Amino acid sequence: MSKINRDSLRESIDNILKFSHETKKRKFTESVELQIALKNYDPQKDKRFAGTVKLRHIPKPKMKVCILGDQVHCDQAKANDIPHMDLDGLKKLNKDKKLVKKLAKKYDAFLASESLIRQIPRVLGPGLNKAGKFPAPVTHNDTLTTRIEETKATIKFQMKKVLVLNVCVGHVGMSSEELYQNVTLAINFLVSLLKKNWQNVRALYIKSTMGPSEKIF
Amino acid sequence: MSGKTAAKSAQFASNLPHLQNLMKRDPASYKDEFSKQWQYFHNLMQTFQLQPSKYNEKLDEMISFLAQVSHCYKEEVSKLPETLSDILKNHSTTLDRTMRMTLIKAVIMLRNKDLISATAVLQLFFKLLRCEDKLLRKTIYQYVVSDIKNINSKHKNARLNSALQTFMFSMLQENNGVTVKTALDIMIELYKRNIWNDAKTVNVIATACFSKITKVMVAAIKFFLGKDVVDQNDDSDSEKEEAPKKIVKTLTLGHRVAKKTKKRKKKLERALDAVKKHSKNKSKAEAFNFSALHLIHDPQDFAEKLFRQLEKTTERFEVKLMMIDLISRLVGIHKLILLNFYPFMKRFVQPHQREVTRLLLFLAQGSHEVVPPDAIEEVLMTIANNFITERNSNEVMAVGLNAVREICARCPLAMSEDLLQDLVQYRTHRDKAVIMAARSLVQLYRKTNPELLHRKDRGRPTESMKELKVLGYGEMDAKSFVSGAETIPDMEAKKEQTEQEQGDWESCSEEDNDSDGEWVDVYHSSDEDVENADKQETEEDQKIREQKAEEISTTRIMTDEDFKTINMAQVSKDINPAKSASSKKASKRKRQDAFGAENSGGLPTLGDIEMVHKKKAHDREARLAAVAAGREGREKFSHGPQKMNPNASTTNKDKAKKKAFTMVKHKIRRKKVKRSFKEKQVQ
Repeated sequence: MSKINRDSLRESIDNILKFSHETKKRKFTESVELQIALKNYDPQKDKRFAGTVKLRHIPKPKMKVCILGDQVHCDQAKANDIPHMDLDGLKKLNKDKKLVKKLAKKYDAFLASESLIRQIPRVLGPGLNKAGKFPAPVTHNDTLTTRIEETKATIKFQMKKVLVLNVCVGHVGMSSEELYQNVTLAINFLVSLLKKNWQNVRALYIKSTMGPSEKIF
Repeated sequence: MSGKTAAKSAQFASNLPHLQNLMKRDPASYKDEFSKQWQYFHNLMQTFQLQPSKYNEKLDEMISFLAQVSHCYKEEVSKLPETLSDILKNHSTTLDRTMRMTLIKAVIMLRNKDLISATAVLQLFFKLLRCEDKLLRKTIYQYVVSDIKNINSKHKNARLNSALQTFMFSMLQENNGVTVKTALDIMIELYKRNIWNDAKTVNVIATACFSKITKVMVAAIKFFLGKDVVDQNDDSDSEKEEAPKKIVKTLTLGHRVAKKTKKRKKKLERALDAVKKHSKNKSKAEAFNFSALHLIHDPQDFAEKLFRQLEKTTERFEVKLMMIDLISRLVGIHKLILLNFYPFMKRFVQPHQREVTRLLLFLAQGSHEVVPPDAIEEVLMTIANNFITERNSNEVMAVGLNAVREICARCPLAMSEDLLQDLVQYRTHRDKAVIMAARSLVQLYRKTNPELLHRKDRGRPTESMKELKVLGYGEMDAKSFVSGAETIPDMEAKKEQTEQEQGDWESCSEEDNDSDGEWVDVYHSSDEDVENADKQETEEDQKIREQKAEEISTTRIMTDEDFKTINMAQVSKDINPAKSASSKKASKRKRQDAFGAENSGGLPTLGDIEMVHKKKAHDREARLAAVAAGREGREKFSHGPQKMNPNASTTNKDKAKKKAFTMVKHKIRRKKVKRSFKEKQVQ
């Protein structure tokens, strides 16, 4: 027996879409979030979990990705009109904490060329890591655009200081089928991370940014 | 009548406890008596003010009396708290010891009756900590902890708490060592008791790590390391449950009444310990407590500051060790980048260094996958050069290998191919500890990066090895499916789908099925070349499996049973050899223990590095078992070969043993008399 009824999940997704499209339309694209409350989980004893999963459909299409690249990647990025920086540009920041923080704030994610990535902690200091935006590597074989799409589709589960997780799984511009797939994959992946699987889940909610939350478990 | 009352009052004056008793029972009718006593108290006070350092017995009694009955005459005594605290404030250090204690107890009683505010008492008491009086300090400490606990027992009063907290925090900035230490102790105790377990408290304790007073700094660091053992004679701890309390009472009473011996005392302590442990096990299950290290606001900054302090410090080695420990834990848990830490640690990596195993442990704690591999590679090289050479003893080599393994479990990229292949050769060393350590290193790399190993060391390829993708620096393994999802029985999914889904959805899934079929077809058609097909098959298989897993994990929500099958499948992937045309041997080998998988989340333990002593053939348990086996069937308190036939006659000597002593006493004596001349001479 499945813990969540498929029909009720579809229904609550439809409700959310209906609310943000018809009942109260906002002037921006709302995102759809999955909220998870855990139970029977002792954060002091049990392993703290963190995991990343690639969703089928990109939850945040507007995410800004910056390329920290070598010559080849910078040229590619220039051709595709993607924001990029080279090593000299990074060195100009001079490990200045404020400048690095500014850089980290400006973009949602970073990609770095494989030849470059090992130097990044030495060049930039701990700033990017502190912001949780340590770059992912790109090789010359990858095409930049696909890598960026992949990065955009990747979501991270990480428990911070409370027993509640919150993760963005889509936006209201998506169809209900796409949302359904993303939500299902996110839930499945999360529950597979937990030690006792469903026994560790207290509640699951989905909601749009401004809408009411729908309890699905 | 008046004479009678006068007599009565005279009697009361000498017997305050009696009056106190009566007043508590019927406050209204003893109002006059009280006002007389109140007047008398004022007179006493005036004389006392002239000589505050002198002990005044009458006043002492009077103060405790007033404090006892204060709740019955609230309007009359409204000035009392102020007067008492004024005395304490103005004459704190000059007062007589006993007098001061009485005053403090009176203030505490007033506080318990809520006639004085908590903040006022706290301020007063922290001023009093300047007095050099151990008992007083202890009383104050215990009182403050229990008072704050009581305030928060029913519900948390956020405003009061934050006021008290800010006051405490300001106390930490004081110059007086005792004040700071007490404030810190109180906060730590309150954190441990889950009363002030918020981030604010933790961050203030974190500031205490930079105190100039060593004691304070050490206490704060120990708090974060979580090393402090629970205080043994902490009486207030045992006030938790009814049943254990009773047991404790009977135990202590028994000790008080019976004759006191060391043995009894030990016995009592042991019994109390057992009770404590028992009650703890029951009550400690709940309370989701994020450890203090996780609650620090800015770990990077904190670690950097601590490191700067560590570089400059001239403290003792033990203190330095603690600082290193804390830094490495911070770095490991929060995945910080603190590049100077590793070169700093290199100087300690010598076999003759004191506490070297712990230092190696700290190195392992402080390494994680975000650190640039070259930084850690240098450390690895130092360990390899200083520890893992033939000129060192076997233990040293084993410790070095274990340390390398622990570091590499957290940061596998740091290992270079040459170094690994050199280290792996110690598998054929003559000492068992070294062999084991080297083998564990091999095991680790079979799991994480078999490419680095020599081909013969890689072991038999398993299915999970095929799926393994070696992660580069900064890379994250983001799959688009739950790994192992392909093993969930397909039939069930289809059945459920057909039951529940609408038409359009069904057609969609059918399409997918068709494509699956196509894949299989393609494989069958390209079957000519065996070698090629073999490789192709596995790759295609992999692709098909991934597709299937993705399909399943995006369409249906898995149940607990599904997860069970997934787990089983994942485990069997670890054990089972990979399917290929060339290898058809039966799977004989059991599953090896995974080192990295379980450890990488938490912190390593010292045992992982110090695991260098091989188990002796005759360990203690084996020896004891042998002794027990020899004892079997033997009489108690006898030794030597026993009689074969139990019915055989006994010698006189044996008989004498069983007789009462008085019966054989004279014989023993006679034996002495009958000694020969020579015997006597010899003696």
